[in-house]
Amino acid sequence: MRLLLLGAGLVAIMLLAMLAGARGIAPADLAALLGHYDPTDPAQITLLEIRLPRLVAGLIAGAALGVAGMVMQAVTRNPLADPGLLGVNAGAAFSLLLGATLLGRGDAASLSLLTLPGAGLAALAVFSLGGGLAGDAGPVRLTLAGVALNAFLLSLVSLLVLLRRESLDVFRFWVAGSLAEAGQRPLTGLALLALCGIVLALLLAPRLEALSLGGALARGLGTHPGRVLAGALLAVTLCTGAAVAVAGPIAFLGLVVPPLARRIMGTEMRGGLIAAALLGAGLLLLADIAGRLLIPPGEIRAGVMTALLGGPVFLWIARRLRPGEGA
Amino acid sequence: MRRLLLMLLALLALCALALMRGQLALSPLQLWQGLSGAEGPAHLVLAVIRGPRVAAALGTGAALGLSGMLFQTLFRNPLAAPDLMGFTSGAGLAIVLAMTLGLGLPVPLVAALGGLIAAALVLLLAWKPGQALAPLVLVLVGLGVGFLTQAASSFLMTALPPEQAADAQRWLTGSLNARNWGHVALLAAGLAVLGLLALSQIRRLEALDLGEELAAGLGLHPGRARIAIAVTGVLLAALAVSVAGPLPFVALMAGPLGARLLGRTALAPRMAAAALTGAMIVVAADLLARATIPGLSLPAGVVTGLLGAPYLLWRLSREMKKGEL
Repeated sequence: MRLLLLGAGLVAIMLLAMLAGARGIAPADLAALLGHYDPTDPAQITLLEIRLPRLVAGLIAGAALGVAGMVMQAVTRNPLADPGLLGVNAGAAFSLLLGATLLGRGDAASLSLLTLPGAGLAALAVFSLGGGLAGDAGPVRLTLAGVALNAFLLSLVSLLVLLRRESLDVFRFWVAGSLAEAGQRPLTGLALLALCGIVLALLLAPRLEALSLGGALARGLGTHPGRVLAGALLAVTLCTGAAVAVAGPIAFLGLVVPPLARRIMGTEMRGGLIAAALLGAGLLLLADIAGRLLIPPGEIRAGVMTALLGGPVFLWIARRLRPGEGA
Repeated sequence: MRRLLLMLLALLALCALALMRGQLALSPLQLWQGLSGAEGPAHLVLAVIRGPRVAAALGTGAALGLSGMLFQTLFRNPLAAPDLMGFTSGAGLAIVLAMTLGLGLPVPLVAALGGLIAAALVLLLAWKPGQALAPLVLVLVGLGVGFLTQAASSFLMTALPPEQAADAQRWLTGSLNARNWGHVALLAAGLAVLGLLALSQIRRLEALDLGEELAAGLGLHPGRARIAIAVTGVLLAALAVSVAGPLPFVALMAGPLGARLLGRTALAPRMAAAALTGAMIVVAADLLARATIPGLSLPAGVVTGLLGAPYLLWRLSREMKKGEL
């Protein structure tokens, strides 16, 4: 029931995403515009060539990041875990940039896959630090480690961009944290990639729930923490890699979505993951719409909008943590 | 004392190296001639380009080192540095805001205001009535304020015309490119005033280190003393930011590394060591940034980021082993 309501909300946001923008489209015209294709109609070109790819990109990246955040928070038992904050986004972006610089600019589909090794390595670093394997890291340590990893990777990105002129082009196109270039990405393949990650997370959901009780207790319940962690790692890698390939590094979505999803669905993991996917997609689309409308004719990248939203949420969560609670 | 002198010598040697290396390499003899005022290309390079650049690196590093030491001692936590707690990015945001609005205010003033506002925000948000300020919560809230100011900076940069936005970006990375003697004079004056202020706080810091009650027994008002120390620290950080941008991790590294080089625990020499180490880090980072890859001048902030991030990770794993975090 609650999921249905969330789904209805997402559909409303999707409609808004098609209508709103520098060139407004009247709701009454929408059905006609979606109907038969007329390549000379500017409104239809706006809708089909620009807004629809953007919409799809927002759905993919938002759902994937929401799920990735949910999985990371369950595994690290840390409400401040987020693929952006902990450097997984930066890892994906750096490996894309490095690969594109070394191998030359191939087709977009193979370039997209270059995000996966970086995302995987960075997620591995996060999990080995705070994944219940080596004891709890605590929110401060984990967040600071994320800051360090992010700073290091971003410095490497600056270095690369300054060293090789062609990486600047790759950087501008791929690493902007925006949905604006969505039409030029291999969206179908990336949607499949993200879907694999989301389905894997859903399959792991009961075991993630057990794991979030703590490694020893999970083992007592018959769960193999090692296998669950490996599965979670793969799910986070697929989701984050796909999201970064679609939209570039977008931070804070994985931080903001899980507490909302938990508030709506309680502690049940499978429902929580579905809610996180719906909420993530809706929030990212809203951020993109707001960014389009705020300073016309210019626009603000969706990643900047989520960061503006995420900063206060981070502070709110940080303030509620008690220093005794493994801080 | 001897170790401090050794550190000073090392810093001087590093400065000499930084003055010699660059697109036009100078021999030690040329350096000497250039410094003693003999006319020629060496003199020109030293007087116009490398001299002010190295001097600015020196001053920025010293200010950041002192600032980091003040906060790390005040909060008794090696992670409580102004860069991790969002003060330097607050100063950076204020400068970008002034750029966007086209305000003609002097940069140091704007940076100081931004740093102070960020610090006040961090303290306010971390403070809970009836509880002592927990350093780790402070660091976490500081990180959050840092994220928020960085987001606001990128938001503002969208509003700037592309060329200015590129300037602002380069500037927010932290760089010592094209600094002039005006910057150096500002740093020297600011360091003289704020350095004296910091020195005058040493007794208070030592008293606070004994604990609230003992400090109050010594006739100290702990709240006021803390605020005075924090304001001095923020102003030192803002001074550095207004010349070189928010160079990441320098304030974090300088204090502990300096203490390790010094191997002593008294506060006054440790402060001096932090300033010297900060200066060494920035001079070395700038030298690496412009002299490692021929034909390419990196912003110094990229180098301190590459050096500082592994340091932070190492520090975190060590603190974790000692059970301090």
